[in-house]
Amino acid sequence: MAVHTTSTAIGSGNPLAHYRRPRRSRLARNRYLAAFLLLSPALLLRLFTSVYPFFQTFYFAFSNYNPSFPPLKFTGTANFVRMWKDLAVSSSVTFTVMFVLFSTLLQLFFGILVALLLNSSFRARSLVRAVNLIPWAIPMVVAAMGFRWMFDSEYGLISDLIRSLTGLDIPWLTTSWGAKAAVIMVNVWKSTPFLALVFLAALQGLPADLLEAARVDGASRVQAFFKITLPLILSQVVTIGLFMVVWQLAAFDLIYTMTGGGPGYATSVLAYNIYQAAFGGLNFGYASAISLVLFVLVFIMAGLGLMLFRRSEVSY
Amino acid sequence: MTYLTLAKPVLGTTWRYRLERYANRILLYLAVGLFLFVVLLPCYWIFISSFTPKYQMFSIPPRWVPSELTLENYVNLANNIPFFRYYLNSLILAFGSSLLSVSLAFLAAYALARIRFRGSNLIFLVFIVSIAIPQIGTLVPLFELYKLVGLINSREGIILLMSSLILPFTVWTLVSFIKQLPEEVEEAARIDGANLLQLLVQVVVPVVRPAIGTMIIINFIIAWNELLYPLVFATSTATKTLSVGLVELAVDPSMGAGRPWDLMSALSVSMIIPVLLVVLFFQRLIVSGLTKGALK
Repeated sequence: MAVHTTSTAIGSGNPLAHYRRPRRSRLARNRYLAAFLLLSPALLLRLFTSVYPFFQTFYFAFSNYNPSFPPLKFTGTANFVRMWKDLAVSSSVTFTVMFVLFSTLLQLFFGILVALLLNSSFRARSLVRAVNLIPWAIPMVVAAMGFRWMFDSEYGLISDLIRSLTGLDIPWLTTSWGAKAAVIMVNVWKSTPFLALVFLAALQGLPADLLEAARVDGASRVQAFFKITLPLILSQVVTIGLFMVVWQLAAFDLIYTMTGGGPGYATSVLAYNIYQAAFGGLNFGYASAISLVLFVLVFIMAGLGLMLFRRSEVSY
Repeated sequence: MTYLTLAKPVLGTTWRYRLERYANRILLYLAVGLFLFVVLLPCYWIFISSFTPKYQMFSIPPRWVPSELTLENYVNLANNIPFFRYYLNSLILAFGSSLLSVSLAFLAAYALARIRFRGSNLIFLVFIVSIAIPQIGTLVPLFELYKLVGLINSREGIILLMSSLILPFTVWTLVSFIKQLPEEVEEAARIDGANLLQLLVQVVVPVVRPAIGTMIIINFIIAWNELLYPLVFATSTATKTLSVGLVELAVDPSMGAGRPWDLMSALSVSMIIPVLLVVLFFQRLIVSGLTKGALK
């Protein structure tokens, strides 16, 4: 765009400018051109790396495409028939849903709890708040590795702690339910602080006089929480919950590094199946078909979540 | 917990009230202690293990504190994998993705926050909804696309992917940041006839600098921690990152049956340290950035 006027330094504008009819710059006239110029780099990047591959997946899903055995041949619904009989996929669908629901509910619960804790006054509070950021900030790969080791039934710190406290030997990673619980626990450990952070900010934004009034009226702390605090932050709780559900449906790092889907298929999730089919077996067609199942799952969950979201917007 | 001080005048200072307050304090500090223990235990364990001599590492029951400390694990790590190469790659990819994503997001966010045009809400919605497209579900077509244009195993290619991944969240946050700023200065500059570029560079950027800095920090952390894209698209030493190195150590068959925890803990600590430093220095900024979008 051409420079029309020599624009003076901002703030030292001509005092008479106020009285003249403001000259409309080309920017003002061409809002659309400006918006287009500003938005197109970001939109193009998203288009090529996300939207286009998303639709391309539908094309691959009905083919037998394998990059080492071209050419691609359309096989109709063969991939889906195969998936129907594939034990790995069916158990993954179940565990993906279970993983996401349990994780999200626990994260919301502990997130609120931790937020309440961090909102009360105690010594070194700002340091504790900084510590709260650590699980969010460290890589999932590192957390998953560390916990895998800590859950080890012989050398593991957690197993040792439980053994010395209760005398129980819990086979965390060698049994189906143990591994499922362990994976969910690590996921909750990793993401709860992020939720706590958001809820803490929400709590800090609440009007203090409301709670004060309730206390003066003789409401107990528990009553004050359920009658006042929770309804006021409910829309944030639901929004974050929805976000976590959608986001965790595609969780990959944790499962890949901590259990590799094992033992058996116990902790296998759809994202792990897709990765294995695509880059373990070079079965691009099949991987794309599983991706479609994941898309459908995301779609359903997001839809249900949005309905819930509408509900939670009733006035309090 | 804070309510107690508010309730003070009502309850008076009877001994019963004092006792209750005392008990509440104790409970509160127990809760804080438990919280710190749960959060810090894994960090402590990874950290202390990286300095534990290998022969003490596999003791039953595990040693909470080793009887001697060593740097041997770090030396072995540097001898076993191209550690410094991976470190450099991680730094380049994280910085590159962070800078690119924030630049693109800033331009887009400015348009969405300030320019009134038909469809602006729709485009904003498209950004947000595209978060829901799972990264893993688009890998196969992306791989094909990258093969076609020759971007596999290139830094630029991976930076593009990681930037795209963090772009929607960045746009979301920056839009809320920019909307909060007073519009008068920009208005004045516009009336003075500043063009778009001048307006952005001379007027807007100085004002939103804190927000941009915040997002650069947050995106750096997210990109530094990223596994999936480097795992798939970085196929040689020249591009592999620390996260890929860590995963490879875990599955490396040449390491024998057990996992090489000595090397893995040393690598983990090396990977955590920059992130921890960033968190300690920029805690306030990070918190403001992470909560901005969610609270709008």
